[in-house]
Amino acid sequence: MKLKQLILSSLVLVSASAWADPTYRLFVTNEKDNSVSVIDSRTGTLETTLKLGDRPRGIGFSPDHKTLYVALSGDNAIGMVDVATLEPLGNLKAGEDPETFAVHPNGNLYLSNEDDAKASVLNPATNEIIEEIRVGLEPEGVAVSPDGSIVLVTSESTNMVHVIDTAAHKVIANILVAARPRGLAFSHDGSRAYVSSEIGNEVAIIDTKTLAITKTVSVDVPRSKPMAIKISPDDKTLYLTTGRAAKVVIMDAITLEIKSTADVGNRVWGAALSRDGSTLYTANGVSNTVSVVDTATSKSVMEIKVGDSPWGLVLDD
Amino acid sequence: MRVFKKWLFVLLIALSQSVMAQVQDVSLHYVGPTEGSAWQGLQQGLDEANIQGEFLGQKYTLHVVSKEELMALDDATAVLLATDEQHILAVAKSEKFANVAVFNLISDSDGLRSACLTNLLSIPASNKMKQDALAQWLDKHPESKAHVQGWHEDFVKFAASQLNSRFQKSHGVVMDDDAWSGWAAVKLLSDTVARTQSTDATVMLNFLKNKIAFDGQKGAGATFRDTGQLRQLVLLVEDNKIVAEAPLRGVKGGLDSLGLKSCK
Repeated sequence: MKLKQLILSSLVLVSASAWADPTYRLFVTNEKDNSVSVIDSRTGTLETTLKLGDRPRGIGFSPDHKTLYVALSGDNAIGMVDVATLEPLGNLKAGEDPETFAVHPNGNLYLSNEDDAKASVLNPATNEIIEEIRVGLEPEGVAVSPDGSIVLVTSESTNMVHVIDTAAHKVIANILVAARPRGLAFSHDGSRAYVSSEIGNEVAIIDTKTLAITKTVSVDVPRSKPMAIKISPDDKTLYLTTGRAAKVVIMDAITLEIKSTADVGNRVWGAALSRDGSTLYTANGVSNTVSVVDTATSKSVMEIKVGDSPWGLVLDD
Repeated sequence: MRVFKKWLFVLLIALSQSVMAQVQDVSLHYVGPTEGSAWQGLQQGLDEANIQGEFLGQKYTLHVVSKEELMALDDATAVLLATDEQHILAVAKSEKFANVAVFNLISDSDGLRSACLTNLLSIPASNKMKQDALAQWLDKHPESKAHVQGWHEDFVKFAASQLNSRFQKSHGVVMDDDAWSGWAAVKLLSDTVARTQSTDATVMLNFLKNKIAFDGQKGAGATFRDTGQLRQLVLLVEDNKIVAEAPLRGVKGGLDSLGLKSCK
């Protein structure tokens, strides 16, 4: 028993030391002025603006949060930045037109290549594309399951969620969903996956064991075009951005009933949720701002000016 | 748990292979030219339908037939026509195709809409839709020299740029109205087959007329009017540049402010 405890605590120590201290920086890709805004999330002030390359869209961290990755769609590359020092760390090759990506717990990046109907697996340690997987037209959203066993990719113009087994790097299921699927998210316990459909104006729940849809709901909000999905740390609440409806829709994550909505900037796309679930940040593509939403009150408490056409954002907390 | 997962994985592989083994053949019949825009659009739609079919287990084939061969068929899943008004009306009115979706790919004739045939589906914007769009525009810009198109090579919104770029990559020319219509017709059909899991003509026609919300890469999920016209926005173009989308913002009736609204 004692030995077990010792091993456990040393494991915790090892994993804790592998993590960098949080900088509380919020990083925002601005698609049309080729920049990344760096905001101090504690004050809401713009710290600096980084120029990494052409048409930045997807954004994410390495598992240890030491490196920021940015999909540079126009440069067919992934740009890297040191999260602590903000020093650029060079580019990784990323195939044609990388739109967005998700980072696997093992460090690999799963990329959607929008113009090429494929998903690529990039090993950032060796700067090599280790696998290319054929998916439907206009692949967009990518999500890795919490245990890393499967990756989901949406294909916008083929209306499917492709399920990729990460051990074999093979598509093991194709799930037909409403028109123009975009965003994806897993519940933290890994039992459910969520997909949004922009044109179909739907959110669907996928059971990750049976890989079948267990629930769909139409989003009853005027002008709604569902995009990004975030799930609260307790897996009870779903946050959905809705494009031109200029709202975040807050739903019960099990029943998909709308609990409330929060007004944010126009053409709201990307979203980031703080680790404690208290604050949601949204990228407002037409307003050129980031909204800061207090999830306790469902109210936007601040709007921060960023670059031209903010697309996605991540928080280092 | 691990063992269960492993078995589930094996089961899924077996399942997906068995689905692949029973590929559903979907035959579409076409009368019209085998070169030019509408034809290239059909080919683009077919390529894309077959990409979806790879994952969902369908194989789409376009059979080019003459007018006579078409009428000699026993039955059909769907009929695609890039012919004239008179021929389209004759096919749609024939008893043989009474429950089969007959697609008008290129004619903007108002007569094909006001005929109100339950099986005739018109993809391109009608002449009256274009006139109404122009009137909305000229109301605000009386001296404009703009004209109306259904599609344009510079159209970017609603992922139109992605469609423009993959069409141009495949065919070496820009996508125009007829090409978009050909593409849209096949995609409407593949969407229908995927969602109904049926190639029964009646089931498909019913789905197309009553249930579809089609992503034509030009805005909200597209549906058909009871006239058989596909609801869609159109573009005002001046000096080969898009100057506006119609219906214009604030016009009452939205998409139905363009053309014959209903048969009722």
